[in-house]
Amino acid sequence: MGENCMLHRVPPAIRSLVLAAFWIGLTVGSDHTWAGDLEGEARQAVPACAFTNQYFEEQVWAKVGERTCIRCHTASGDASESGLLLMNPADPRGLDSSWMDRNREAFRRVASAKEGDQFRLLLKVTGGLEHGGGQVLKPDSTGYRILERYVKHTNGLAVEPVAEPVTDLSEAPFFDGVAMISPGRLVRRLSLSLCGRLPSGEELAALKARGPDALDGILDQMMKEEAFYTRLKEGFNDIFLTLGIEDNAETILSYDHFETTRQWTEKHDLNHVPEADRQKARWALADVYRQSLLREPLELIAYIVRNERPFTELATADYIMVSPYSARGYGIFEELKGQFQNVDDPQEYIPAKLNALKSREGKTQESATGLYPHAGFLSMFHYLHRYPSTETNRNRLRARMFYQHFLGIDIMQLAPRTSDASAVAAKFKVPTMEAQDCVVCHKTIDPVAGIFQDFNFEGNLGPRKEGWYTDMFGAGFEGEAMPALERWRAPQWLGERVARDPRFPIAMVEHVYSLMMGRKVLQAPDDIDSPTFPARRKAYWAQRRMIEGVASQFKDAGFNLKMVFKALAQTDFYRADGHLAATVGPQRRAELDDLGIVRLLAPEQLERKLQAIFGKPWGRLNDELRILYGGIDSQTVTERNADPSGAMGAIQRIMANDMACLHVAKDFRLPANQRTLFPGIEPTVVPGDGMSDLLIRKALVDMHQRLLGSECTATDPEVERSFLLFTGIVGEAKSRGNFEPKETYFCGGREEFRADDPHYTLRAWRAVVTYLLRQQDFLYE
Amino acid sequence: MLRRNFLKHCRNAGLGFAVPLGWSSLVRSQESTSHAEGYPGPYYVVFNASGGWDTTYLMDPKGVDGINRLYQEGDIQTEGQHRFAPTAKQVQKGMSNEDFFRTYGQELRVFNGLDLSVNNHTPCARYMATGKLDSLAYPTFPALVAACRGASAPLAFLTFGNYSATGNLVPMSRVPYLQSLNLLARADSVEGIDQHPYHDPFVSDRIEKALEEQFESRVSEVRLPRVERSQSMLYAAQLNSKALKRVVPFIPKESAKERLAQQADIALAAFKAGVCVSANLSIGQFDSHNNNDTDQMNLIPEFLSGIDYLLKKAEELQIRDQLVVIIQSEMGRTPNYNNGNGKDHWSIGSIMFLGKGITGNCVLGATDAQQNLIPVNPQTLNLDRETGIRVRPEHLHLALRQLSGIQDHAFSQQFPLGVVPVEQLSNVWH
Repeated sequence: MGENCMLHRVPPAIRSLVLAAFWIGLTVGSDHTWAGDLEGEARQAVPACAFTNQYFEEQVWAKVGERTCIRCHTASGDASESGLLLMNPADPRGLDSSWMDRNREAFRRVASAKEGDQFRLLLKVTGGLEHGGGQVLKPDSTGYRILERYVKHTNGLAVEPVAEPVTDLSEAPFFDGVAMISPGRLVRRLSLSLCGRLPSGEELAALKARGPDALDGILDQMMKEEAFYTRLKEGFNDIFLTLGIEDNAETILSYDHFETTRQWTEKHDLNHVPEADRQKARWALADVYRQSLLREPLELIAYIVRNERPFTELATADYIMVSPYSARGYGIFEELKGQFQNVDDPQEYIPAKLNALKSREGKTQESATGLYPHAGFLSMFHYLHRYPSTETNRNRLRARMFYQHFLGIDIMQLAPRTSDASAVAAKFKVPTMEAQDCVVCHKTIDPVAGIFQDFNFEGNLGPRKEGWYTDMFGAGFEGEAMPALERWRAPQWLGERVARDPRFPIAMVEHVYSLMMGRKVLQAPDDIDSPTFPARRKAYWAQRRMIEGVASQFKDAGFNLKMVFKALAQTDFYRADGHLAATVGPQRRAELDDLGIVRLLAPEQLERKLQAIFGKPWGRLNDELRILYGGIDSQTVTERNADPSGAMGAIQRIMANDMACLHVAKDFRLPANQRTLFPGIEPTVVPGDGMSDLLIRKALVDMHQRLLGSECTATDPEVERSFLLFTGIVGEAKSRGNFEPKETYFCGGREEFRADDPHYTLRAWRAVVTYLLRQQDFLYE
Repeated sequence: MLRRNFLKHCRNAGLGFAVPLGWSSLVRSQESTSHAEGYPGPYYVVFNASGGWDTTYLMDPKGVDGINRLYQEGDIQTEGQHRFAPTAKQVQKGMSNEDFFRTYGQELRVFNGLDLSVNNHTPCARYMATGKLDSLAYPTFPALVAACRGASAPLAFLTFGNYSATGNLVPMSRVPYLQSLNLLARADSVEGIDQHPYHDPFVSDRIEKALEEQFESRVSEVRLPRVERSQSMLYAAQLNSKALKRVVPFIPKESAKERLAQQADIALAAFKAGVCVSANLSIGQFDSHNNNDTDQMNLIPEFLSGIDYLLKKAEELQIRDQLVVIIQSEMGRTPNYNNGNGKDHWSIGSIMFLGKGITGNCVLGATDAQQNLIPVNPQTLNLDRETGIRVRPEHLHLALRQLSGIQDHAFSQQFPLGVVPVEQLSNVWH
């Protein structure tokens, strides 16, 4: 039995106490020195080595190793040749289950080394002994104190008594006490989220017959719907932002290679259009063409997923997607037109390959195949155009986005501080290749930047006339230089490595997670002095393991992205819906802090939900209101608002007022069996007698179900509140006695009709709909 | 809902103890308090020159060693304690340094030689905005001060760009168009026409009462922290949005044409109405890797003109004395020109302040002739090459927290800046 197993035999609560007591009163140096007030059971069950292991894992590793040392001290890191080589549990490359044991051993080895009468480890972290990373811990910092105690303990020296807080951190399963969403509501959540519609009768029937086992099949069908691909493209644009190209879209195609075709709309035959309307028609044609061209990258994603092709094609596809309109821009329409079902449909996309590009001067792009070396997004002009370069940027933005988009690594996230960046810049001729502070990142970034060396600032094919920069690390990837012979197909060379990289599936799962949950995955907590640090770290790792698990399944499924949607939908993270415990301590609360979807619907999602429920969207959350309501324009505003501001609160009020105004009287005007909101009640039903009240309550149950997805009964407090609202309004109107017997002009049909409302019930129902549309259960997912 | 009821409900639900520290403060008091007419100030404005301004063409002139091609050392201008680069001859449009410093020099407090530690846009922008380099979790100063001083204001934290993280303390508001405010302010009337309310007043009252009761019932349930937070945020957003009515009288009839002026008009209307605490105003394209002088000479005058616009309009609205203005950029530019006549990123920068509680006509810190920073004694703020410290954003953010009286607020404590006592700057503002 290993040490960890022995440790796990200790009850969690006692384990926390033991740890605290250990550092409060323990003097290390003898084999068995226990805190004097420990229970006998713990005293017998936990040997000193277990304490050491636990202290290493929860203090040394969690607060120092994992946050600081791991940045450089790995096999691929900058300190790969140092005496401390660690395994990064967040980097799947070469990771195995013994990583913690190996890291513990690595630390133990260096903890004993001395320089004179001082410990090398402590000297190094404070910048001594020419530590390559400089000072990474200040001598008065928590991290240093942890390391100091660890070193002393390892070397059998007395440890200063330090009070550590006793926490209520539990070792119970992470989802202990968390309530999960019911299968019915889960299907509603998924159908609205992924397809912008309410669940169908068939889906609910399948669920009733087969229970949760039906979910896989239901999702399979959902992912065949066109609406799913609308959502898929929208979600991936939130990540890649390829719709956010500032110029007219035809500038994606270079003047040098597509001079005669990229503005085909200007010469397109429009003689069938009356001359007076021709110019407007041409402008409209150009708009459609631009949209068609702009959407190509997202259509590639849709094509890969729809056809269950390996999602690695995101970086390896040897084709692009073109429509009849965009194909004309490339000058390949004539050769492809037979493959389109409808040559007049700008939204019909098919895969296509470009020949090696030919410049205006007649020079043909170098290519061993005669084809343009397509490599999914990596060679798409759109992607490269969206992330332009400059003479000094030298494709580094492209390299940075590559790491973020394809491998899930944000190079700029935690930039290492230098002691004096300006002095470093002045001291070295080429700091990015010579100054350790700069080399840390540039040796990773610059080789990938070199991959794109044959693309110009705008993202078009156009090698630099002076040749690629020599004062940069050469083209390559993660320490592997790209052979010169591969340069003509450099994006493909990179794409092949991406497809093999174990970080790729994790990054893609993280993308789908953000699409489904409305937020990014958790970051590792960074405040080691916070009392909730252990709880937040636990939450981080719980989520991390889930992401890695789904990524593993994704890989095993041949990188079929649909599998990721299915897997995530069935995780406890997606299904978490509430908490069962009456009281929750601060640690547990911190653990649960990010749990549950609870996502404010984006403008587009809210419009789709309104369409699903009312049969038509509101239509006002586009354009101006879209940004006000927290949406993005993919250019300057690229992050969606997660929380509603007062301005958004006002828009919610307008929306609720307006949708109720637009639909209540109209719905009642339809035959009962054609109504969406009020199929079981008439405006003539007024509260007061048992039967009427029953009908009203039943109508409210249906409305709560349709609008909010609630599974409640007529006696539910929420229904009761709606009932009291309705009856209270009708009653007060009656008691006032002087109301107009018709609905208002604006809400009663306007020019179309003018609805009678002699009992004020139409207006009362309108109030109920307004009330429901302003609720969290409607506005959030 | 009365504030005390809201607080009681939040307490019952455990709000205010874990992450949602003080979510209760999101709901505006509807009782008769000194804030009955809205947030009274101070109002905080951060002007951001996005991309990295050339400080040697503004408040930290050099004119030596080829650092500036447009002027020599002898051309440097002064106004009181300020030394600034001459730009009047270069300005095509906007405000020259000469005009700016002569107009505002007596109010301006400048810090030169700020150590940003790194020289990439993203981390630098984050560092300047939050005072914390190595965390994505920290709120920007305007978000923090909005949360501490007036989170219940419906547009408490307005942003028009730049790094705008909120630390989950307060929602950010984006209002890209001035006229949008008209619509938002009249949410309960058809097409914003007061004469055509959607509901009769008694109906509206009953809807609000039902929503309040529903909120009360929800906060007493056991729910996940995210659900609790969002419920409070949503309720507060809708409730507080009614205060937007106060903005209407202050919405200019015509929109300004200049970028910063458009943003300033929205911020000022929101300030004057008492619905906003802080605003991030920003223009970009300062990243002059090519043709530095041309770009900076276009942008710096535009930037200064925007500041001038805000201050003059604030004067007209009689809120000038309540403004605290921070003028910054995420980095400086190198002391040398590159092959494209541009200048690259430089990790030493400058920052300027003016407004309530800030004594002007003062320059703190300095850079040497090579544009390297000179350390500062934190107690005296004098230059001290031997024992001084490298002043970094966290030092100034701590001073800003002190200036705004929020340094001990629970939200500030939640995001400590880690400045050890001996490095805390004394008397930064006077």
